[in-house]
Amino acid sequence: MRCTIVPPHMLERLAGDAADPALRDRARHTLALTSAQFTERRTLAPAPPAPAEDFVPRRTIHDAEHREELPGRTVRAEGGPATGDADVDRSYDWLGITFDFFETVYRRNSIDGAGLEMISTVHYGDRYQNAFWNGRQMVYGDGDGVIFTAFTGPLDVTGHELVHGITQYTANLEYYGQSGALNESMSDVFGSLIKQRHLGHTADRADWLIGQGLLAEGVAGVALRSLKEPGTAYDDPRIGKDPQPGHMDDYVETYRDNGGVHINSGIPNRAFHLAATAIGGNAWEKAGRVWYDTLTGGALSTTIEFAAFAAETVRTAARLYGDTAAETEAVRNAWRGVGVIR
Amino acid sequence: MKVSIVRTGGFAGIERRAQSDSAGDPLLARLVDRVDLRAVPPPGRIPDQFLYEIDIDGECAVVGEAQLSGPLRELVHHVLGRAG
Repeated sequence: MRCTIVPPHMLERLAGDAADPALRDRARHTLALTSAQFTERRTLAPAPPAPAEDFVPRRTIHDAEHREELPGRTVRAEGGPATGDADVDRSYDWLGITFDFFETVYRRNSIDGAGLEMISTVHYGDRYQNAFWNGRQMVYGDGDGVIFTAFTGPLDVTGHELVHGITQYTANLEYYGQSGALNESMSDVFGSLIKQRHLGHTADRADWLIGQGLLAEGVAGVALRSLKEPGTAYDDPRIGKDPQPGHMDDYVETYRDNGGVHINSGIPNRAFHLAATAIGGNAWEKAGRVWYDTLTGGALSTTIEFAAFAAETVRTAARLYGDTAAETEAVRNAWRGVGVIR
Repeated sequence: MKVSIVRTGGFAGIERRAQSDSAGDPLLARLVDRVDLRAVPPPGRIPDQFLYEIDIDGECAVVGEAQLSGPLRELVHHVLGRAG
């Protein structure tokens, strides 16, 4: 049978407006039990930083010691010495590189723009094959060693999770359907840009992969996703084939995975790649700036869909570079290339 | 009773599925008796968390890993295996 879930925005509407009080109460009760209680966001944008202000990261790494309890034991705080535990120290370093990326490239002070502490827990669970952002912190499993290596490994995984936090504090894109796929795409786009800048790769040299090195030896795949060629990252009998589309013609309608947030993100991911490679140079400088200003500019609704998001990136590009500039045309063409702008 | 589990979501977005019948599995039968699918809250909005779709003889619920506890958690891991 088909198993349906109620999208969160519908639940909120029910909780507020349902004519039937019983239905309203049930929706409210349900909402109270979900993770909404953990998510925090700022209602007012933080004051812009002084031009010469130096932002200082505040990192805390915890060790869950293979249990599924958060945050776990504190093992390294800001400025503390290396611990000798590769996952702890890598997580600390990747957070530093991610912080530096947003400070240097976009003048952003941490996740919330106001110096929020960056908290990670490593060694979560028993051979846990995942990493996530729970509204307050990042969480990493060790992987099972057969399909997945440790999720602390790739820099872009840390970037991806931390950007879920930035999205939460800015556009707060609802994690369902197209707005959820855009939320996922923001994390992949900036995750990749953080890696590209770290490696000094221009758009034409970058691999545009997410999670390279995360698949264990012997698994047929190069990574988990490809922004350049969605759907080509892996094809292995144990995990199946990369299901991502790279064009609206292949958009996947599904109720699973919060309405396909990890599937349809391939479409905006590829649009970013097309824009960045058409513009050329360092992708984080111009294309990245357009996406960052769009994400953080306050013009997006939380349930925005691809077409409206695309239009907003074109508006941002026109504001930054001019309506007839090559950069703006590259952004328009990118969305045409994936069938979002017809 | 037929129990099927589909795990979706997660950072990787890779689906895993498994099915089992409580007829030949007393532990599963005991777990099924202790689970009420109508009482589980819907999944929250935790980016990249696993979502579990649990179907017991046609009755179905989607549960986020943060809400997975008690006998339901045991049931999911029993059917999917340890790595699930």
